[in-house]
Amino acid sequence: MTAPKKYGMSIDVDRCTGCGSCMVACAVENNIPPARPGANDRNGLTWIRVYKVDNGEDYPGKRSAFVPVLCQQCGEHTPCASVCPQQAVDVDPQTGVVGQMPERCLGCRYCMAACPYHARYFNWWDPRWPAGMEKTLNPDVAPRMRGVVEKCNFCHGRWHAAKEKAAAAGKTEIQPGDYVPACVEACPTGAIRFGDLNDPSNDLRHPDSFRLLEKLGTDPKIYYRSKRDWVRQAGQAARPVSPEKEASRG
Amino acid sequence: MKTTRRDIFKFAGGSALGVLFTPAPWRLITDTALWSENWPGIPRPARGEIRAKFTNCSLCTAGCAVRARCVGDQPVSLAGVRGGLCPFGVTGHHLPYHPARLRQGPVSEATAAVAEAIAKCGPDERVAVLDLRPGRTASWTARRAMAALKSGLYIAPAQSPVAVDLSKAKTVLSLGAPLVERWGTPANVFAARDGFRLIQAEPVESRTAALADLWLPIRPGSEEALALGLAGQLSTAETAQITGLTELQLASVGQTIASCRLSLVIDKNMSPAVVSLNVKLGNWGRTIGPRAEAPVPREWEKAAPVTELAAVPDRSVRVLLIDESAPGEYLPWDAIEKKLAPENPLVVVFAWSANGYGRHAKYVLPTPVYPEALDDIPSAIDSPAPCFRIAAPLVAAPAGVVNPSEFIASLAGLPPSDTLRERAAAIHQAGLGTLVTYADAKSVPVKDVKPDDFWKALNAGGCWVGQALPPANPQAGAATVRAATVRERLPRATDDLVVIATTPPAASLISPLFTKLYQESDLLLAPNCVALHPLDAARCGIAFGTHAILETPNGKWSVRVLTDSSVRPGVILAARPEMAGAQGKVVRA
Repeated sequence: MTAPKKYGMSIDVDRCTGCGSCMVACAVENNIPPARPGANDRNGLTWIRVYKVDNGEDYPGKRSAFVPVLCQQCGEHTPCASVCPQQAVDVDPQTGVVGQMPERCLGCRYCMAACPYHARYFNWWDPRWPAGMEKTLNPDVAPRMRGVVEKCNFCHGRWHAAKEKAAAAGKTEIQPGDYVPACVEACPTGAIRFGDLNDPSNDLRHPDSFRLLEKLGTDPKIYYRSKRDWVRQAGQAARPVSPEKEASRG
Repeated sequence: MKTTRRDIFKFAGGSALGVLFTPAPWRLITDTALWSENWPGIPRPARGEIRAKFTNCSLCTAGCAVRARCVGDQPVSLAGVRGGLCPFGVTGHHLPYHPARLRQGPVSEATAAVAEAIAKCGPDERVAVLDLRPGRTASWTARRAMAALKSGLYIAPAQSPVAVDLSKAKTVLSLGAPLVERWGTPANVFAARDGFRLIQAEPVESRTAALADLWLPIRPGSEEALALGLAGQLSTAETAQITGLTELQLASVGQTIASCRLSLVIDKNMSPAVVSLNVKLGNWGRTIGPRAEAPVPREWEKAAPVTELAAVPDRSVRVLLIDESAPGEYLPWDAIEKKLAPENPLVVVFAWSANGYGRHAKYVLPTPVYPEALDDIPSAIDSPAPCFRIAAPLVAAPAGVVNPSEFIASLAGLPPSDTLRERAAAIHQAGLGTLVTYADAKSVPVKDVKPDDFWKALNAGGCWVGQALPPANPQAGAATVRAATVRERLPRATDDLVVIATTPPAASLISPLFTKLYQESDLLLAPNCVALHPLDAARCGIAFGTHAILETPNGKWSVRVLTDSSVRPGVILAARPEMAGAQGKVVRA
């Protein structure tokens, strides 16, 4: 019996360039299809989404930062798990990862309403790729059907692959470098780091780090860092949206 | 007891009601979901043996080392070897399947038309190759072919003769260079980033400006003037007037870069004004030096010289072959068009899609896309040592595509040859430098490697790294720039807005997954969008999200207007390079 892990991430906002590599790498790894013509930021599928936040001032005093937001893998009172009528959401005691089982999901979207981080996405369309591009799909992840909710699971397929590799080597524990989610691997600046929060050798839970909407007490496993106060304050506000865009939607 | 029909109905009704309180119907619903999960409309990923292949990305001059995870021979994901990849590199394996990708073209028709046009060329008319990414082995082939033709001309965007070493710099002043976006090699830039203070001078708060230690919001087009001002060729008052910065800010920046022993000033293409400033600051030989190129076989040196587009006489090019197969710098079409012969010029474009210069060409010939194409990547601007890397194909190219350098070589009657292998042999013969192989993370002196092993290693994603040139001539590339010339280039003061493009252009094809970045989120500006300051939008009477017409000297585009207060008032931020111009306006559609 191996000791339970508590996988988590540290995201250094001051290093994030907002390039979007994490978003497309996530889509490649998890077989998330390209947008349909009618898709927009409200109904699109982005398991990790980089938001641009700012200090609220006008040019030239305006300063911006990029905040990647993915499922925060809540550790306490996981809101999505507690509202799911189908038990399609569970927290794996071995890894601490909040899993989503699309084959159990009814598509009621209670979990989306409950998630304070807006990190769950509903499949409004059947997954489709341009002709021939199906050949590039990852064989370790099944595409999801229309009508179910999906979200980040810390690249569960990679965790399985790492387990198999460890088992083939006669080990019970996976090596830390063998299990890295796609967004972490893709980040050119090294802003996103991943590891076991129970492992005291890593500094993912730095004393200066903060978590999104900490006041809710959901114990997220994604830790953010920034030296800028206004970025830290933005992390305690609701999902960043453009006021002009909201106004244009009426 | 007699069972009546009523009892049967009561029993059936009660049973139906009772079943609702059992798990059975809910289980049935779950199973329905399970069955529909596997319906034929959902694609099933192919399975097979998982392998890793190594290559180098040829989507830009950074040439990042890539590890491809393949199922059989099909790449299913790409990852960087020395750090992460940019989003273009991560999704490069999708390009062969892009709906807009060209697979067939009128190759024989174009060949005949080009041969006929060359034969009919007048004494003052030229046959020209426009190479958007010079320095490749394919570029050398084009230059040799143009040297073999009597009226041949090889045109390429200006290449800076200098390279920078970010790892030695303690302060970097960037004059609009997208340092953390698409400038240099990401692995080098981010490895060095913690070691230097970054000052970004740029009209809009770009992603580089957002991450800089200090952002100087200057007027559009005033980057060169700022370089001259810091070099003392313009007075502080005049520099302040042109750039829009205060004299205090200018003095502070000047003092910062002058007092730092290891400073570096960069701009997008390391212009002569910037090189001069670096020489004046004493950076030559420290953070900046001459750019070196990998050796070529001696017989190749009888090649046509590189001519900049501006130096080509107007109305002189009868046949123009544009090699767009390797994404490179964007040159405005109106500047190219001025060079074409007035009557019946022939333009042939080698491209992945018809979206680029193909719109203006008589023939568009399809070429292999990355990662089908076999090509090499010249040294990046942040690589003081020369290097030679091959983008080895990961998938086979379709039958109907043409290799531009083979097409051009055959026009000039050059014998067919494996030019990449010839160049690798020349590098090996020189016996200098080291071979770096990423598959086993080894670095071996070239003299210890056999020629065949060297070639095999290069085709498996290896990289040859040579020795940097000694900084003997500090004036190399530091041509004198006259202040008057800079003043002439500044945008004129009119009621129009200045249109600037967001980041350097990407390839003409990008993965359909980029919709995640500009359609399903607001991270990037979509290709059909422009951004304005809210005050400018209000002045034009345009609300957020409405459609409008962008008018510039380059043309008109139907665009969607977004407002963003990080855009400088007086500036229109556009996503496409062809929209950029010194003047433009947005009018309601």
